[in-house]
Amino acid sequence: MTRTMVMVLISTGLVRVAAASSNIDLSTIPPRDGVQLTIYNSEDLTLVRETRTVTFRKGMNPLQFSWANTLIDPSSVELRFRTNSDQLEVLDTTFPHDKPQMLYWNVQSELDGDAQVEVTYFTSGISWAADYVCTSDPQEERMRFEGFVRITNQSGEDYENAQVRMVVGTINLVEKVRELAQRGLIADADREAYERGRRPISQMVDAARRDLSMELKAGMAVAESAAAPKEIVKQGLSEYFLFTVEGTETIRHTWSKRMRLFQGLQVPFRIQYRFRPQEYGPQMVRMFLLRNDRESDLGTTPLPDGIVRLYRDNGRDGLSMLVQQGIRYVPIGQEIELNLGVDPEVIHEWVKLGSRRDNFWFRRHDVEVYYSPQQGHQVEIRDTVAGWDEHQSWVERIRNYRDKPVDVEIRRRFEGDVLFCSGLAPTLYDYQSPQFAATVERGQKCDLAYDLTFRQGRNQKQNRVTLEER
Amino acid sequence: MSRPIAWNVVVGILVGPALAPAASAGIKLITLPPRERVEIQLDNPQVTLVEEERIVPLTQGVNDVVFAWANTSIDRESIQLRCLSDPDAVKVLSVSYPPGENALTWQVASPKAGSARIRISYLIGQLDKSYAYQATASPDEKQLTLWQYVQLHNRSNEEFGMAGMWAGFGERFERPIGINETKKLLSARFANVPVQKVYLADLAAHGYLDAGKRQLRVPMSYRLKNDAAHGLGLFPLMFGKARIFQDDGQGMSAFLGEDWARFTPRDDEVDLFLGVARDIVVKRTIDRREQKRVLGNLYDYYVVVKYEIENFKDQPAVLDLAESLRALRSEIGINSDRDVEWELGDQGTLGKARMDVEKTTVDRVLFRVELPPRGPDDQAVKTTHTLHVRIRNEW
Repeated sequence: MTRTMVMVLISTGLVRVAAASSNIDLSTIPPRDGVQLTIYNSEDLTLVRETRTVTFRKGMNPLQFSWANTLIDPSSVELRFRTNSDQLEVLDTTFPHDKPQMLYWNVQSELDGDAQVEVTYFTSGISWAADYVCTSDPQEERMRFEGFVRITNQSGEDYENAQVRMVVGTINLVEKVRELAQRGLIADADREAYERGRRPISQMVDAARRDLSMELKAGMAVAESAAAPKEIVKQGLSEYFLFTVEGTETIRHTWSKRMRLFQGLQVPFRIQYRFRPQEYGPQMVRMFLLRNDRESDLGTTPLPDGIVRLYRDNGRDGLSMLVQQGIRYVPIGQEIELNLGVDPEVIHEWVKLGSRRDNFWFRRHDVEVYYSPQQGHQVEIRDTVAGWDEHQSWVERIRNYRDKPVDVEIRRRFEGDVLFCSGLAPTLYDYQSPQFAATVERGQKCDLAYDLTFRQGRNQKQNRVTLEER
Repeated sequence: MSRPIAWNVVVGILVGPALAPAASAGIKLITLPPRERVEIQLDNPQVTLVEEERIVPLTQGVNDVVFAWANTSIDRESIQLRCLSDPDAVKVLSVSYPPGENALTWQVASPKAGSARIRISYLIGQLDKSYAYQATASPDEKQLTLWQYVQLHNRSNEEFGMAGMWAGFGERFERPIGINETKKLLSARFANVPVQKVYLADLAAHGYLDAGKRQLRVPMSYRLKNDAAHGLGLFPLMFGKARIFQDDGQGMSAFLGEDWARFTPRDDEVDLFLGVARDIVVKRTIDRREQKRVLGNLYDYYVVVKYEIENFKDQPAVLDLAESLRALRSEIGINSDRDVEWELGDQGTLGKARMDVEKTTVDRVLFRVELPPRGPDDQAVKTTHTLHVRIRNEW
């Protein structure tokens, strides 16, 4: 294993900033006592908090911290004293110009003995992502819904026995940590703006720090359980959500690790067939609809963005793969929509049965005057059509070859000045989109019929759909 | 003759307590439990799911179960492990993915030492299936015997040995599947399936056989209905190539043609186009075109389409006559993108009463006409039909 991050206590006596210029150094390397990772999924950002025990002597104690071949943002590295803080003080921090991934702290100590220090910094290269495995029962009424998180470490550093926390939410960053890490320390001229822009993160760091203190008091180092999957504790954090993995994990550079986040064993769902071209393309799709709430055996956490793999128990001691798709963040209480795509056993056709035109208006040749025979006007031979109503008869024809009734919902958008006339109890989704629903019994064909009147030419007065009951 | 099975997919159990992470240990002793059972789930049209069971020796505590594969396209994100023998006690704690390897390690906790039956499932590429049909029609073409085959194509570079396969319907098969093998399996046989022979005259869809003579191309199809009343209906018929033969009545058969059978749900019907009928001659002409001013520049058009039909077969036949109104309007010289507003006149033989309402739309009207066989003098009876159409409100 290659340890790339090192903290060194330099014991050359009266060394201040110029410590690195000594040709002969005697150093001790205090190991990590503990490390905590707080990984954000919306940005390539991880807050690392590590504790080490350092033996100080009275007077000036130079400390060197280096992070070769890692992706640490140098501007984020901070040192705090967890014990004896009233006897220890960081006098200054120096970033030597000739050693880009290193800094020195000069610590003034009134203590002659051990103190626990905490080093925090941002690194990039550690990420996490959620994924979900759902298994429906053969009847397609309930499902087992399992959520997982997978942590991937490409940071250049091995993290052994780390407490792992993951943050769900979209944070604001004004500069990417990876760029900062590769660029080195930012220019002084930019520092103020940078610090100002980073305030939201600093506040978060403080909040996270408070959380950590509480956990430490509660006994952070929980021994690994050998009998059951680790519990992942979920809690709200401002606009975000925090997942904390029970105990500690070792995540080596270039490895990834997947753990269960939660599971609902009996999650009810309903099936609806939807035709919504704006959302699902020009076909009727089969949807599994469930809700992320406690009533549905879920609702312990928002669902982060992730891939859902949906299977069905095929009733033959095996599984059927139904679909895999990405879902976006689902807050607690919101509906989860799983799109299974086109169902070849439920066939949807849009059939135009007829078309006719009436309510003609004619324009007098070379004159901006309009005449309508319906109004009793006389139309002359050289008059030309300037407006008319076009009536179209449509059916949404649905054939259900499944052995269950199916619920269908249809939403269509029409451009122009349109009258939608039907007995389907439609509602308007928006000013151009009527929608309606129906149930088609097993083995039945259902024609959902409606008439459209498009007011054309000068007859068009609006650009909207109006509904009319038949 | 049996031969060694080449497995590119391996499950290993690291002997001894779990090391974290397992693969970092330099010296490892690994047991390699073989597959006990393999099921290949072929019911998804896009992907193939493999489920395999192995009996793994577990120690008390946490065990590392390594799953590795090479030269085969397994979707690593889809790999799952479930314990079948004691699912409540044996738990998967986490999964680790080593860098740059097609492998993963499950940390599996077991309350006691002993064997456990586990099932590993994953999606695999290059292992897919297709469907094919073969049918032999009776000499009178009234019915046929239909065979449905599932063809499994294994290009996944993995040998599964004896594997169960299920296509989502019908019976389950159990066969050995080797690398690069294609296995054709009879999945169903249906005898005495009634078949309807369908002829279609549709200029817009199939054009002319002889444009100079205005003779239409008349495709012949076999129509099958996928329901119990027609000897089928047990499950949907999947998309696949159908080859149709006919019993020649002398113990041999002749090839009539082939077509792609579309996916046909239960209770739906499928037409298999076998070839062009040459013994049914349909000549179509436009007999009349007359325009009348309605108002201003608004016109109605009166069109008569005439069909002269001869059946040179010694059997009666049923012909579907279809007319595209949009194509007809274009044919009489009106160029417009608007829908055709049309109505049928009752002066012709093809009026509203004979229209197939179920299959008629705003753009296409369909009639079914019966054709007598040729007479005893071998002369065909010429049947003439006319269609009177009024195309309204064009400008």
